[in-house]
Amino acid sequence: MPLHYFMEKLNLDEAELQSRRNFFEITDDDLNRLAGLRGFAEKYIDDIIDDLYQLILGHPEAKQQFTEHVTLVRVKRAQRDYFLGLFSGRCDLAYVEDRLRIGVAHERVGIPPKWYLGAYARYLRSIFSRLLIALPEPAQAHAAYQSVEKLVAFDTALAMDTYIAAQLDALARHQAAIRELSTPVIRLYQRVLLLPLIGTMDTHRADQLMETVLLKVVDEQAHVIIIDIAGVLVVDTKVADHLLKTTEAVRLLGAQTILSGISPTIAKTIVNLGMNISAMHTRSRLADALELAFEIVGKRVTSIAKKPAGTPPETAQDS
Amino acid sequence: MSAHGPIPVLRIGSTLLASIQVELRDTIADAFQEDILKMIAKTGATGLVIDITGLEVVDSYVARVLGDTGRMATLMGTETVVVGMRPVVAATLVRMGFRMEGVLTALNVEDGLALVSDLLVRRHSGGH
Amino acid sequence: MAPCVLSSEKLVIACEDDVVIARRKVRLLAETLGFDPFTTAAITTATSELCRNTWIHAEKGTGLVEQISDGGRIGIRVELRDDGPGIADLDRVLAGGYSTAKSLGLGVSGSRRLTDEFRVDTVVGRGTVITVVKWKRPT
Repeated sequence: MPLHYFMEKLNLDEAELQSRRNFFEITDDDLNRLAGLRGFAEKYIDDIIDDLYQLILGHPEAKQQFTEHVTLVRVKRAQRDYFLGLFSGRCDLAYVEDRLRIGVAHERVGIPPKWYLGAYARYLRSIFSRLLIALPEPAQAHAAYQSVEKLVAFDTALAMDTYIAAQLDALARHQAAIRELSTPVIRLYQRVLLLPLIGTMDTHRADQLMETVLLKVVDEQAHVIIIDIAGVLVVDTKVADHLLKTTEAVRLLGAQTILSGISPTIAKTIVNLGMNISAMHTRSRLADALELAFEIVGKRVTSIAKKPAGTPPETAQDS
Repeated sequence: MSAHGPIPVLRIGSTLLASIQVELRDTIADAFQEDILKMIAKTGATGLVIDITGLEVVDSYVARVLGDTGRMATLMGTETVVVGMRPVVAATLVRMGFRMEGVLTALNVEDGLALVSDLLVRRHSGGH
Repeated sequence: MAPCVLSSEKLVIACEDDVVIARRKVRLLAETLGFDPFTTAAITTATSELCRNTWIHAEKGTGLVEQISDGGRIGIRVELRDDGPGIADLDRVLAGGYSTAKSLGLGVSGSRRLTDEFRVDTVVGRGTVITVVKWKRPT
C-alpha cells in the first residue's frame, strides 16, 4: 500500500502533526538535544543494533521470523535508518513520512506488532545504558533519555496506526469480496436470470445490488430476471424502495423483473410505500415466478404424458 | 438513409431507426425531437426505434426529451421503443427520481424491431 | 477536519456548451481518480444538472471542480455560484418530484440524490451557491 495512502488515512497534515507533538510533549528543546547527540548515536549505533539482534536471535520464535536472510538484511538496514533518525533533530512531516516508510516495510514483510514494539523497548534500554556512559552528569543523561523516550513513543504510535490501517484495509477488501459472493446472479435459462437474495439486506447492499443486476442483465441480454427475496430476513422501507428502483431501472434497460418470495409483511411494506407497482411482476412462490419467466421468453412448462408401464422408451429416429 | 444533424436515421421498412452516438447537448436533443417527428409525418412511419447504446451520460433534460419524443411519436400513431440504455444511465436516472413513463424499452435494436413488429401485428388484428 | 483541496479547476457557465464542458471536466477527473462507472455517472450527471440550472435560471455563473481528500477518502467537489434570481420555495424544490417535473425541480433535487454531500445557499433576488461532493467508493 502506498505511503500517501497512509498519510491520508491517518489525516497526517500539519495540524495533526502539531497535535501529536503536543500530546507527546515533543518540544524544540527535545529535538535540539537529540540533534546534539548525533555523535553519540553514530558512535554507538552498531552496538545498539547488535543488542537488538542478540535479542532476536536468542529468541526462537523471533528468530524464526527473521530466518530469511533477505528479510534480515532489509530489516537491519531499516533499523539503522530508524535509529539514526531519532537523532536527526527533526519531527516534521518529512520525518513522519520516513517513519511511515519503515512501518510500511514492516507491514509488507508481515511483522506482527509484538516484535517491533519489543524492539523499541530494547532500543530504549540500550540507549539508556549507553547514555549513562556517554553523559557522566546524571541530570544530562536523564534529560537526554526523556527526549529519546518521547520520540520513540511518538514513533510507536505511528507504527500502531500504520498496522491498524493496513488491517482495516484488508478487512474492507474481504468484506467487499463477501458482498460479491453473496450476490450471485444465476443464469437459469436462455435470457432468464435468477438472483436469490439471502441474509441481511441493508440499504448499502440493496443499492449496490441494483448495479450488479443491471450489469448482468445487459451482459447476458436477459429478458427477465427473477429476484427472490424469500431468504431476506428484514425488508424495511428503504430496502423495499431500492428493490423497486431496481425493477424500474431494469425496465429502462428493456427487460423485466419478477420479484418473488413476497411475504405478507413485505407486501405491506411495499404497498405502504405508495409507489406505482401496477407494472411490476410479483409472486409469492419462486415456482410461480419461474413459470412466469418462461412465459415471458415464450416457453411453457407442461407435463409429459405418462406412458403405460412396459412401453419401451422411444428411440431417436431419423426423419 | 437520412441524417438530419448528427443523428443518423435509417429506414427499415416502415420503421425508423435512430442511433444516437454523440453526446447529447440540449439543442441537439431538441433538434432531434423536431426532426424525427417531422420524418414520421413525412414518411408515415409506423415504428420508431431509438438506439441509445452510445449514450454514456444522460441527464434529466435529455431523458425527458427522449421520453417526450417517444410519447409524441406514439400519439402520432408510431409504435416507439427505446433500446440499449446503459446500466450506468439507468441507475443514475432511477436514483435521481426520474421516471420514463409511457415509453417502451428493449435491450437492443433486434429486440426493439421485433417488439415494434409484434405491436403492429396486434394493432392490425385487434382493430385499433 | 475540513477536507483538503488537492486540485482545483475553474468553471464558467455562460452558454449551453459550457454545460457540456463542465460535465466533461468532471467526468475526466472522476475517471482519472479511478472512480467506478456508477459513481462517475452520478457526479457527472449531478454536475450537468446544476450547470444547466445555472445556465437556464441565471444565464451566467462560475464554478469550481475540486479534488478533495479527507482522512483516507478522495472525492470530487463541485461548486456552482451565480448572481441569478435565487431559488424561491427551496423546500419544495428540494423535495423535487418523482415525475417529469419542471427542469428546476428535478435538476436540483436530482443532483442532491446523486451526491453524498449537498449544500445550497440561496437568496431570492441575489443569487445561489450550490456545492456537492461525491466520494470515491472504497474498493
